Parts: sequence; structure tokens; C-alpha cells
Amino acid sequence: MPIIRKRALCRRTVLRGFGASLALPLLDAMIPAMTATAQTPANPASLRRLGFVYMPMGCDHTRWTPPGDGDLTELTPTLQPLQAVKENVCIISNLELRNAYPGTHATSNASFLSAATAKRTESTDYHLGTTVDQIAARHLGPGVQLPSLEMAMDLMSVVGQCDNGYACVYQNCLSWSSPTSPLPAEAHPRVIFEMLFGEGNDPEQRAAHLRQRASLLDLFDDELKSLQRTLGPSDRQRIDQYLTAVRDVEQRIRTAERTASDGPTPDRDRPIGVPASYADHARLMFDLQRLALQADITRVVTFQLARETSNRTYPEIGVADPHHPLTHHGNDPEKIAKVARVNQFHVSLFAEFLETLRATPEADGTLLDHCLYLYGSGMGNPNVHDHTNLPIIVAGGAAGRLRGGRHIRYAQPTPLANLHLTLLDKVGVSMESFADSNGTVNDLFLPLHA
Amino acid sequence: MLWIVNRRFSSVTAAAGPWTTVRWLMGCGCLVVPALVFMLAWPLECRADTDRWPISIQQFVQAHCVTCHSGSEAAGELDLEAAVELPPSSAPAAWESVLRKLLTHQMPPFDADQPSAEARQATIEQLGQILDHQAATRLDPGRTETLRRLTRTEYRNAVRDLVAIELDMADLLPADEASHGFDNVTVSSLSPTQISRYLSAAQKISRLAVGRQSSTVIGETIRVRPDITQDTHRPGLPLGSRGGILTRHLFPGTGEYEIQVRLMRDRNEELEGLRGKHELQLRLDRKLVKAWELVPPGPGQDDRAVDADLKLRIPVTAGPHELAVTFPEQSKALSESLRQPLNVHFNYYRHPRLGPAVFEVSIVGPFESSAPGDTPSRRQIFDCYPEQPEQESQCATAILKRLSRRAFRRTATSEELSSILEAYDQGRREGDFELGIERAFAAILMHPRFLLRVELDPPDAVPGTAYRISDLELASRLSFFLWSSLPDDPLLRVAEQGRLSDPDELNRQVERMLADPRSGALVENFAGQWLYLRNLDAVMPDMRLFPDFDHNLREAMREECERFLTSMLAEDRSVLELIRADYTYLNERLARHYQIPFVHGTRFRRVHVPADSHRGGLLRQAGILTVTSYATRTSPVLRGKWILENLLASPPPPPPPDVPALEDATVLGARTIREQLALHRAHEACAGCHQLIDPVGFPLESYDAVGRWRSLEGEQPVDVWGGLPGSDQFAGVQGLEQALLDRPEAFVTALAEKLLTYALGRGVEYADGPAVRAIVSTAHEQDYRWSSIIKGVVQSHPFLMRRAADANHP
Repeated sequence: MPIIRKRALCRRTVLRGFGASLALPLLDAMIPAMTATAQTPANPASLRRLGFVYMPMGCDHTRWTPPGDGDLTELTPTLQPLQAVKENVCIISNLELRNAYPGTHATSNASFLSAATAKRTESTDYHLGTTVDQIAARHLGPGVQLPSLEMAMDLMSVVGQCDNGYACVYQNCLSWSSPTSPLPAEAHPRVIFEMLFGEGNDPEQRAAHLRQRASLLDLFDDELKSLQRTLGPSDRQRIDQYLTAVRDVEQRIRTAERTASDGPTPDRDRPIGVPASYADHARLMFDLQRLALQADITRVVTFQLARETSNRTYPEIGVADPHHPLTHHGNDPEKIAKVARVNQFHVSLFAEFLETLRATPEADGTLLDHCLYLYGSGMGNPNVHDHTNLPIIVAGGAAGRLRGGRHIRYAQPTPLANLHLTLLDKVGVSMESFADSNGTVNDLFLPLHA
Repeated sequence: MLWIVNRRFSSVTAAAGPWTTVRWLMGCGCLVVPALVFMLAWPLECRADTDRWPISIQQFVQAHCVTCHSGSEAAGELDLEAAVELPPSSAPAAWESVLRKLLTHQMPPFDADQPSAEARQATIEQLGQILDHQAATRLDPGRTETLRRLTRTEYRNAVRDLVAIELDMADLLPADEASHGFDNVTVSSLSPTQISRYLSAAQKISRLAVGRQSSTVIGETIRVRPDITQDTHRPGLPLGSRGGILTRHLFPGTGEYEIQVRLMRDRNEELEGLRGKHELQLRLDRKLVKAWELVPPGPGQDDRAVDADLKLRIPVTAGPHELAVTFPEQSKALSESLRQPLNVHFNYYRHPRLGPAVFEVSIVGPFESSAPGDTPSRRQIFDCYPEQPEQESQCATAILKRLSRRAFRRTATSEELSSILEAYDQGRREGDFELGIERAFAAILMHPRFLLRVELDPPDAVPGTAYRISDLELASRLSFFLWSSLPDDPLLRVAEQGRLSDPDELNRQVERMLADPRSGALVENFAGQWLYLRNLDAVMPDMRLFPDFDHNLREAMREECERFLTSMLAEDRSVLELIRADYTYLNERLARHYQIPFVHGTRFRRVHVPADSHRGGLLRQAGILTVTSYATRTSPVLRGKWILENLLASPPPPPPPDVPALEDATVLGARTIREQLALHRAHEACAGCHQLIDPVGFPLESYDAVGRWRSLEGEQPVDVWGGLPGSDQFAGVQGLEQALLDRPEAFVTALAEKLLTYALGRGVEYADGPAVRAIVSTAHEQDYRWSSIIKGVVQSHPFLMRRAADANHP
């Protein structure tokens, strides 16, 4: 096996020298020394992004579940949009959320990433569990601008009771940083853009903004020092503490300046409003995820494609009926077909996003190589509100050595938490167990040293 | 009432009287003189020998204290048997604490023999005099921190006073941590986040203030709280409208703005309350700009069709404008029902909205920006404007000199000014005169002399001794105390002329400043923290148990209390009226909550409340009663603690760390809170404090957790018997109020200490005991009027002076 023997250079060091000229693939010098070349495009160390996309209200299994298991020879109608990225996805069947019972919409959403039981209350004494994304964020987050990014498609803030005696937070929030801290999700693209990139309409304005920050900070720094000279010894120490904080902010500004001048991000102007069509809004939200991951502004994303019990209609695909009543189809074939169309539409938006990630170069591979995404629902069959046989897709690329193009079908219902545990392990968080897990998902990934 | 107002403004010129005497005494700056006065009043034995405690005190201690407080096992590690043998100067902290316990009847304990009221009073007075005398011989005004950053409230007010811009700082700056009950105490550290947010704030505020013509488009989204009922009239919006939102928005430049409205969705992503036709109006500065018709979506459409197009572009000039989005009210039939309908409509399942509601208004612009024109902030900044390029630098210097003097609370040094002018030059080079001013103003806002309040020891100060702070430092203390903001020009001028330390001038300034609307900060900032009103926003009563609670009610609760306090201050009433007032302020929402008839509309008005209405003083106000309750029930413990701490100056110690919560403790079978707490008090570890706390809270049990009057708790009649430490038993709020009024010194001591803590930005220590006693006794002669207490704080030596750093107390 050929070995490259070099001193590794961190990417940031290189960028500092090269300035704005860098939208380039991985430079030789950055490949860690003593690494086998066979692993370089898929360096597991670069696999440090985790995404979660929530699809509401389960699916029509007859059009979702691929026949047989093992290699995905032919895609089912609902999964058809994944054709182009088939080798980057793995379909998993017969995962379940025992803790989401009794079957409700609120618990479908709440348990999806926590695998925990939601305390039944419609008041503010709600209690769930820390979600998988937040556990990952604690590990991956330090050092990046946003430890995690919570996104949704619905612009609402509902209080009170939402579903069968459950508080609305269960239905609104996918992500919980502790059993009692639901994280609100943002649906306004402009608000998200400003969270990611600050103010200013275009890269030039943003750069000017940062320059002014830097020079204001210089002034603050100088004036603190001259104030320090007038003080007694203990108050002088106080100013030293301030100056340490100033250094920290200086570092942040430099990082932001580098990100701003680092070619690819953000290559779009600031969005102003919320696009009128659902598909456009969703595409924009996915694109903001791409920007955030690419610029390494965040490493953990959650995204709710719609809330449970959403009565959205999807006229763009010819479904004029509201989604929630449709899912209570009573086995009416026409309604089931419409549910499947909505499922397929949601999958198609995700598939487009995966294609974009794969088209975005990073290091020797693509952005998709260095991400892992979990797509799915906390409800199985919406007609009966169950939490068994959940529709689940795992997407990723070479760095994680995902064994794509396959269908894993469990013979017995298996905890979804097993998958959470497996994903956490993959990004470097080793835990004994997660919620009700009783193992890991084997053969989702190739062993690192095959 | 006229008499009160006159008196307030003429008291300074009164020729004689006790107030004048004390003013003169304190004005000397050397507190030896009052000590002499007290000495004249002392018994002979005391004057003869100041090295020993007088016999009467020794006897009192022997009779009432030493059973517990003696020997190596002394309670609270306080050996009074030994202490009373030592000279009075030896342990002032311990004796201050003894005095406080006697004053607030916490000692001797309730189950021990009590001294007669006369003996207690005599001991309190004598002990106080001795401690005052001791303190006067080695004056310790305490040491405030040298460097204190502005709090978020102070920053907001400073920006308002500098450039006439009112912003919601919650978006811009992190919240301040409170200690000693106030958020201006622990303000000596600066975190990277804080600095980072200061940078953003300086950039944003300078841009908004100058409002240059620029290509930067700014978007802002204003969301309506989901727990606001929008089926009734909202304050500030036109009469005849219902729901919606009124926002005073600062438009950053002149140009076109895109305004988009989105409506509230229910959990199914459907528009809440949209049945039939509704009209939605957009008004700018009260003028109707646009009326949309809302109709439920047709077949094949979902609800997005209804509000996707609620947007328009309109030209708006730079500066603040009132933007209103609301619905004209439709006629409605009264529901003929035996059940009282709820006031609340926001919870889809329990009490749904009756009509559509506004979710958010988003404002984006300016597009096609043009010259800014006239705005309040530009008027405040540009008092000159260059007509020729060669006038620019002179005009810039004049503007920046003036702004920096206000911002820094003193004239900027030439070095400081030159670094600000450097920022101007940089901006001028990159753009024009206005960009230069914008950059320089940002530099002022980011200057340590703006962000930090600095108090320096004079070079000749003897380490560890008291010195008078400079007039300029005093001006800042005064304005941040009374206004939570910068000194204004008249105050700065008096300070620069060295006249502020003159006691008469100082009183004149206090009166002038109290009459200024900026003194509203004493209500919003001081009382908001003192009385916990600030916590009201975080209170979420359980929605099942209190379905008739919404944000509209929360707003009304706060406003009642704020207006009540504002009237007390403006009329310079006795602070005791906070407890015994026979009036309050109500609007319809709150009056319904109180079941008081004949109050209509959202407007607040003063209402005389008869004795049997259960309303009036602070202890009867729903806001106070709600912030001292849990989400599901009342808490006599929280209420008792609140009274002891904030009204009686005797905060109970914090609970020991291993105490089980009430619910988990063995209280099975107990039905009422009182019964549960009785079991609690049977617990030895709990009894010591809860014997003191619980009975103080019980009399308020006739108010539920959102402050409604009740006669039953569950199915049990409410039991309202209670007592203050060392008092007889009494029943109900009236008994509690009377008991508080029977001990005015304790209540006024509590208020004086809270004011002093807030005014100084440091915790009150034992060494402040004499100053607090002086404030209380002076105010006593003035019927405890607000102005007498505030002036007492301002004329106290902790406020006028500071202890120089020394090796032991840096």
C-alpha cells in the first residue's frame, strides 16, 4: 500500500496564506502524513457533519418498501427520485419507536430524535429526552459558529395543547438540548441567512462590515490599554481580563473574515422573503443547509419538512387535499395513492439536495462524502398512528464508507435508537447505549480497514 | 393633592425643621457632627465610658440572648456573652446583625421569653446610637467597583438620550445577571460574547442614527406572541379594531419598503379563526395604507393562498413610524350562556380564536433609497452641517466633541477625541461626511469611556480611607440612579462647575430629575426588580388550571403595578401608601379578572376601590401575587419569603441543599397547602425557617395563583390566619397590611436598603447600617415620603463617598 510521508498542514493555515484564491480541492500538503492513499478521499476524520430530515405522518408502505433486501435493484415508486443518488443511500425497514406509544402525532415528532417518552402534559412541565443531534452537537460543535442549526418549514408558534393532551412543543420541536429544553426551529430563510452570515446583502458588504468590526475592536483595545495605565494594580488585572476577551473576539473576526473570503460561501445573495411555493421554500432551506455545512458554520442540522398533523396541500403535484386527513385514508386506494405522492414529493426534495451535496467538491471528494443524513418519519402507518416499520433512509458517501445502494430489512421490529447510536459512533461519539437501543445497525458501513 | 405638590417643591427652601438640620449635618462630609448630636442624647454612663457596653444593654443580652449565644457551642457561632464584655468597637458586624434581628423581631425566637415592647425599642435605639457613634469615628462608605459596564437597560436609555433612538436591546445585547436582587451589581466582567454584541450594537445603532442613503437592505420580522388573544381591542390600535399588532418601527432610510403580513396558523397549518370574510388593515402613522379582504380558501386551495399575497411596497421616510396591522371589529352577538365565557382565545383545542390573527409582520428595505431627510436622531446629531467641503472637519469636530462629552459623562481628552476623529477620517475617505460621522459615532459607542462607568481614587487618597467622589462621578451616580441613563447637559454643567456637591444644589438636582419623565426608570428598572415584576414575563400559569390567562392579562397586571408606583412617586406620597392605598389602576381586562364592574376598554384609569373589593395596595395586586406563585398553585412560602425579603428587610437564609421538594416529601393525605406545609414544619430541618416564613404568606391564601379572590382552596375553605415574626396572629390581607404598617421602620429599612443597593450597584454591608438608619430616621420626620427617602440615599455617605483601595481591600 503506498504511503504518503509528509507533514500535515491544517486547511486554515493554507487559507491564511492563499487568501481568497481557495475554492480548490484538497492540496497534497494537507493530507495527513502517514496516511494510506486509498483512504484519503474518504478520510473518516472529515466525516463530521450530521443532518436529520423529518418527514411527517409516515408513508404508504406498499409504494415505499423495496422488495427483498440486500442490493437495491429497482427503486419503488416513492423512492424513485433517489435514482441518481442510489449508491449514496441505504433504506432501512422495520425500525420502530416503542417509546412513542400510545400512537400520536406529538410523540412521532418528539421521539424521532430522542427515542424517549414524552411526558403527557399540555402545560409547561413538559419532559422528553436529549436528542441525538444535540449529543452530536456537543461533540462536533465546539469551535464552530453554530453548534447546531434547527430548521422547519412552518412559520408558526403554537402554545397550549396540540395533540391528545400533549403540549405543542412536542409537535413543534425535533431537537431538544435537554429533557426540558426544546429548541425552537426557524422557518424564515432570511433569519437563517443572517444567523449564518450576518448582515449585508452581498460578500462585498459583508467584508466591509467585518473590516469595520476589526477597526472598532482595535480602538476598544487601544483605549482599554490607556485606561489601564490610570488604574491601581488590582483594577489593572481586571483590564487584563477584558483584553483576553478582546483577543478572543479578534480571533472570531479573523475566522469570519477567512470564511467570507473563502471562495464558495455564500454564493447567493441574502433571501428577503419566504418563497410562495412550498417546493421553492424547501429548496431554499436545503440550500442554506448546504451553505452552512460547506462553510463549516455548523456541523449538525435538523430540518422538519412539515409538522405532524399538517394540513398543507400540495397543488404543485396535484394533491389538493390536506395532508393529515388524507393519511387517515381508511384504505381508500385513491387516498393512499395521494399519500404516496406526497411522500414521493418530500423524498424528491431530499434527493435533489443529496445531488447538490454530491456536486459540491470538498477535499478530494464531495460534500456528500463528508456528511451523514438521516431522513425519515416517527410514524409508520399513519392510518393507525403506529410507530413501527418507520420509513428510514440513511444517506452519505465515501468518507463514512456507507454501504449504499442497499436495503436493510430487519426481521423483527428493532429500535430506531440503534441507528442513532450507530450514527453517533460514526462521528466519534461513543456511547454504551442511547434511549431504548439494544445494539447497533450492523453492516450499514464498511469497516474502516477492510 | 395640590398641597402635596407644593410641599414637594418648596421643602428645600424651608428655613428650619429637622430635614434642614440633617441636610446641613450631612453636607459637612464629616459625620462626626451627627455623632456628637447622638452623644448628647446618650445616657450618662455611656458618655463616661465608651469602651464598655452600657449596663442596660449588658442586662438585655444576659436576659434574652445568652441562653443560646454563648460558649463554644453558641448558636450561629455568635457568642454574645463574650462579645458584650468586649469594647463596643470590637465587632460591629455582629452587633449590626443583633440590631437587625431585634428590629425585625426575628430574635429572640418566637418560642422564647420575649422582652417587653418598650425594652426592645429602648435597646434598638441605644444599640443604634452606639453603633452610629462607633462608625462615625472610622467612616467606611464602602468601595464600589472601579469599572462597571452599563447594564442592558442603561445602554438602551443612554442611546435614547444620545441620539433619540429607541430600540429593543433584547435583540442586541445579552441579559445581565442579577445579584443582591439587581442586575447592576455584577457588572465588572466582560465576556467575548458581550464585546462581540457591543460591536454589532455600535454598528447597527450608528447606521440607524445617521440613516445615510445606502444600498444596504435591512429586514426585520416582528412576531406576535402566540398567547395574545387577538379577538379584542389591543392597546394603541384604533378604536373599533380588534387584534393585530402596533409596532413603532425605526425605518433605517428613506425609500421603498416591502411589508408582508402572515397570519397565525393552527397546529394543522390552517389559518386560525378564518370563517367568513374579514378585513385586514395596514396603517402607517395611523393613516390607512391598505385594506385586504380575507376569505377562506376555495376548493383545491390550501390556506397559503389566503396570506401569500398580503404584501405591498410603500415609500417610507427614514425615522420612527407607527406601523399597525389590525382587523376592523365585526359586530358580534353576546353569547347567551349561563357560563361566563372565557376572555382568552388563543389555544386551538381549549379556547380557539374567534377570528383570524396576525402572526408576523416583516419589513424589508429600503429599496431605491434616497436622501434621508429629517429624523429625530439626525436633528440630535447634526447641529451643524457643512455647506462647503472645507467646513466639514470643523463641523465634524464640533459634533463629535458634543456627542462624546454626553456619552463619556465628561469632556473627552484630546487623545480620546483624536482617536474618534481618526474613525471619522477613515469613514470620510471611504465615503462622505455622513459616513465619517457614522463611523465616529460607532467609535464613541465602542469606547470604554462610554461602555464602562469608571470611578478612580484621587492620587492623594490615603489607602483604606474615605474620600469624597468627584462632582463628575457624583453626576453619573445620580443620573444612573434616578434615570438609569447618562447625565443631561444641565447636570453635567453643574458638576463641571464643581457645584453639585453642595447639598442644596444636590437636592435641587434630585427634585429636577424626579420631575423629569426619565425618572420612570425608578419604576421600570428599580421597582421592576425590587418587586420581581420583571419575572412576570417568565410566568406561565398552568393552562389547564388557569385557562383564562393570556398575555393580555399579563400585560395588564404589569401596567397596574407600574402605574400605581408611578402615581406614588409623582404625587410624592408616603411609601407606606404602597401598602394601604385605596386606589389602583385598571382596564377592562384586569377589572374582569378582579370582578370589578363598570370598567370598559383597554385604557387604564385610576379607580377608587372600596374596602371590600380586595384590591388596592401592592399585596392585593395580581401581578405581585402571580410572580410569587407556582404554575399550578399558590405558595405561601414564596409569598412569605417575598415579604420578608422585600418589605421587612429580613431575608430568610437559603434552604439547606438536601431538602426534598414538597411533592416528594411524605405529605400523603394532606389536602390543602397549609396542611402540607404543617407537615413540612414538623420536619426538624425545615422548621427553623418555615416557622418564620409560612405564617407570613398564609394571609394571602385568599388570592389564587393568578391573583383572583377565592374563598375555597379546592373544596376546603381558605384559612387565612397568619402572623409576622413576633406579632400577634391576624387574618387575611387586611391583617397582614396592618401588621406591616405597625412596623413602618422595618418596611422603610427594607426599601432604603434596596434603593441603596440599586443606587450604588453593590450589596449593602454591615458598615452601611448607620447610613440606612439615618435615611430611615430622616424620612420618618417627612412622613416617609418618596422624595425624603431618595434624597436620604443621595445625601448618604456611601453615595457621596468611596473608600480608597488598600492592600487588604483592593
